[in-house]
Amino acid sequence: MAVTVEQVKEINPLVPIKAKVIKIVQETPDVKTFHITTIDDKKPFDPLPGQLGMLSLPAIGEAMFSVTNKGENHIEMAIKSVGQLTEALHEIEEGQEVGIRGPYGNGFPLDYFKGKDILFIGGGIGLAPVRSLIMECVRNRENYGKLSVVYGARSKADLCFKEDLFENWPKVPNMDLYVTIDREEEGWDGHVGFVPAYVEELAFQPQVTVLCGPPVMIKFTLPALQKMGFADQDIITTLEMRMKCGIGKCGRCNIGSCYVCLDGPVFTMEQLKELPPEY
Amino acid sequence: MKEITLQMQELARELLQKGEVNVVLGWEKGTFWYLSPPAFVDKPEDVERLVYDDYCHHNLSKYLMDYRYQEGKVAVFLKGCDSRAFNILLEDNQLEREKYVLIGIPCPGMKDQEKAKEFGVNGDIPLAKKCQECKYPNPLVYDYFLGDKKAADEAAATKEAKAKEYSDVEQMEKMTSDEKYDFWSSQYERCIRCYACRNVCPACNCRECIFDQSRTGWIGKANNASENQFFALTRAMHVAGRCIECGECERACPMHIPIMLLNKKLIKDINELFGEYDAGVKVDGVLPLGHFDKNDPEEFM
Amino acid sequence: MMKIIAKERLPEVLQLLAKDYNVLVPAKFEGVSRFTPYSADVELALEENVLMPPKDIFFPQTEKMYKFKAKDKSLEIEELPVEKEEQLIFGIRSCDLKSLECLDQVFLTKGYVDHFYKDKRDRTALIALSCLQPQEACFCGSMGVDPQNGVGADIQAYDLKDKIGFKAISAKGQEILEKISGLLAEEEVTIPTFGEFNLKADIEGVPEKLQGMFDHPLWADICRKCLNCGACTYVCPTCHCFDIDSEVRGEDGVKIRCWDTCMFGEYTQMAGGHNPRPTKKERVRNRFMHKLRYFPERYKMLLCTGCGRCVVKCPVNLDITAIIKKIKEAE
Repeated sequence: MAVTVEQVKEINPLVPIKAKVIKIVQETPDVKTFHITTIDDKKPFDPLPGQLGMLSLPAIGEAMFSVTNKGENHIEMAIKSVGQLTEALHEIEEGQEVGIRGPYGNGFPLDYFKGKDILFIGGGIGLAPVRSLIMECVRNRENYGKLSVVYGARSKADLCFKEDLFENWPKVPNMDLYVTIDREEEGWDGHVGFVPAYVEELAFQPQVTVLCGPPVMIKFTLPALQKMGFADQDIITTLEMRMKCGIGKCGRCNIGSCYVCLDGPVFTMEQLKELPPEY
Repeated sequence: MKEITLQMQELARELLQKGEVNVVLGWEKGTFWYLSPPAFVDKPEDVERLVYDDYCHHNLSKYLMDYRYQEGKVAVFLKGCDSRAFNILLEDNQLEREKYVLIGIPCPGMKDQEKAKEFGVNGDIPLAKKCQECKYPNPLVYDYFLGDKKAADEAAATKEAKAKEYSDVEQMEKMTSDEKYDFWSSQYERCIRCYACRNVCPACNCRECIFDQSRTGWIGKANNASENQFFALTRAMHVAGRCIECGECERACPMHIPIMLLNKKLIKDINELFGEYDAGVKVDGVLPLGHFDKNDPEEFM
Repeated sequence: MMKIIAKERLPEVLQLLAKDYNVLVPAKFEGVSRFTPYSADVELALEENVLMPPKDIFFPQTEKMYKFKAKDKSLEIEELPVEKEEQLIFGIRSCDLKSLECLDQVFLTKGYVDHFYKDKRDRTALIALSCLQPQEACFCGSMGVDPQNGVGADIQAYDLKDKIGFKAISAKGQEILEKISGLLAEEEVTIPTFGEFNLKADIEGVPEKLQGMFDHPLWADICRKCLNCGACTYVCPTCHCFDIDSEVRGEDGVKIRCWDTCMFGEYTQMAGGHNPRPTKKERVRNRFMHKLRYFPERYKMLLCTGCGRCVVKCPVNLDITAIIKKIKEAE
């Protein structure tokens, strides 16, 4: 039995449980996906799409990552090598034991998405939090309307989740994929250009959209969506802040009176407009 | 000092009105009568906030680092120790001389704030210890000088007799190694690592301080004897040869740690090893610990 | 009628309580006062509140969380044994009791209970002590605290100048009072009148007004003298930010948590280099916004008790009462 959300709250929420990495997938030169189970091959916890987990190599550090997917007996985290802990994680091999605690945060509002067409927009590693929701929609295809995914990266090599993008998702009914890279490159016959411009070019009808990527992508995509008539409550994004406790106590991930680890990481544009622009 | 206050306000007004500077750094009255915290005046009509009295302890030179990348000039009032701080910042290539308008003011010594609080406004309040021992009450570098320069120099000359005061250091030197260890351990045991001593110090001007690099493993965030000692020693050694004896570290310390005793021990040692040296008096690139001299002692080699 | 004892006989009470509790009392060493385990040679400091707030009794500056052993691919995680000792604080003031209300909100509500905090809170009895007169920097009266009647104590003790009076508040307090009743006399007492506050802050409407003041030029002005040291937050009874770090020796390690402060740049620095609060303006703004706006919004109470410690200890006199005034006056 996996530990349920309620059980996690009863045990000391700051102490991780022991888990192990059973599979490592090299997504891009600097992104790897880690498949994690408990020692007895169970799911460490059962996250909602968009929720977070605190992963640790205790001697080096602990950091919050979005859970990119869950399987029957495992969870997945796609992690980019950017700092001390993530560099160390990129060095580990399958079979490595790690600490994990979670799930944290609010997750995506699944009920709100039910029956609706959804536009997913991602850039680079920004597809990681979105993927958990796409996978939920793919698994329960009948609960959702048309799915459109616009995803871009600097180059072909930098595209995450290539197996999904080029093999799995194209087979999903009523799902459109629009993949782009920043610059022309040999062996790429797909779209070339930045995500915001591509979104504008594709002229989507206003619908619910989930937007995750580097700040510059968000900055230029938002006005494009607003111009196309997307409503603030229908533009959903996830935020990242430095986190330590994951349970809204240690202080540092606040934006105004909100704690991203607890009240986020998923926010609508409507909510963000109420918060100070400090992220 | 009242007179100097008026002159300060006058000059500040003039500099701001003429647009020669964007902001003037001085002191103003604080919450209690014995507090005269830093003031930042950027409008001519606000110059009356400026004061010069017995409690203008704050070394304003450190704040100049905040203006390094801003357009326009900054005026700053400098006492003797503040001017040495300015020189250290020049020596360390942190500031450009031309960007700052330096207004020197003679310093009669600042009074002890703790004693002021204890004795009350009518009490006979002694000078702060750092000021009793000060060798350079008058500014060493300035563009303007307020007050009577001749009288100030004379006052400083008679005061010098009292300087070179190392009795507290000598007292500490008499301790055995174990006693010294116990003494400093117990002092730094109560350190809360707020880093006020570092942040107020003009010699602590690294772009990124070692104590902020907790991810590198140099120092952990835990507050315990070993981390606190590592902090204490590293800080002291890092400012050795550059401490201008403004005593701000000790004044800023919320935990009453005698930080200047440690700084003074290093100053005394440097004087004994490398010859008499006062940091921030000259800007010539010849720092006792930052400059190789064939005659330097090298018993350890 | 109140149970009383002569002030000079207070050690007898503490001595008796020390049989059943680890009794913590205000005491001063080398210019720094704090709650210290009681023993016969501890000299009580009852004239004014302690410099170091009692928060470290519940939320130590450095606290071990769990042990681990990491070798090659293996990892062991082991929780640490929980202390069982019952403790008792004598002499906690109303302002600091108020700070425990704030900390309770943080550590015990909103879906997660902090076990480390709760454990210590549950096994600590509180004997509050009323204040005779305000210190120079006290302004608790402005923050809705009654310096003579604390909220949340088990016993309220009253400073009656030459005597101490005791009134049980909770059932636990009643129990404690019974233990020491043999030492106490019963007497009609008058609680001395409390003097005028030297420092005041008019907080009314400030949390609401701050709602629209995130981009106000006042922050750029206020922050200028701030050194961005952590003195204010570390002596604050309500500041509760922490960091999680580890101490590693070879294969063995201990995970610790320790106080952290929003004044430090590193506090919000992300692994990729981005920092949402890069300069002292954002940090100073966050500190005061947190105390006066964000916390009231989240927990329906101010995150300032008017204890005055930051006013006393800030090396540059960045005075929260002066800032409240500036906020009030801002256009």
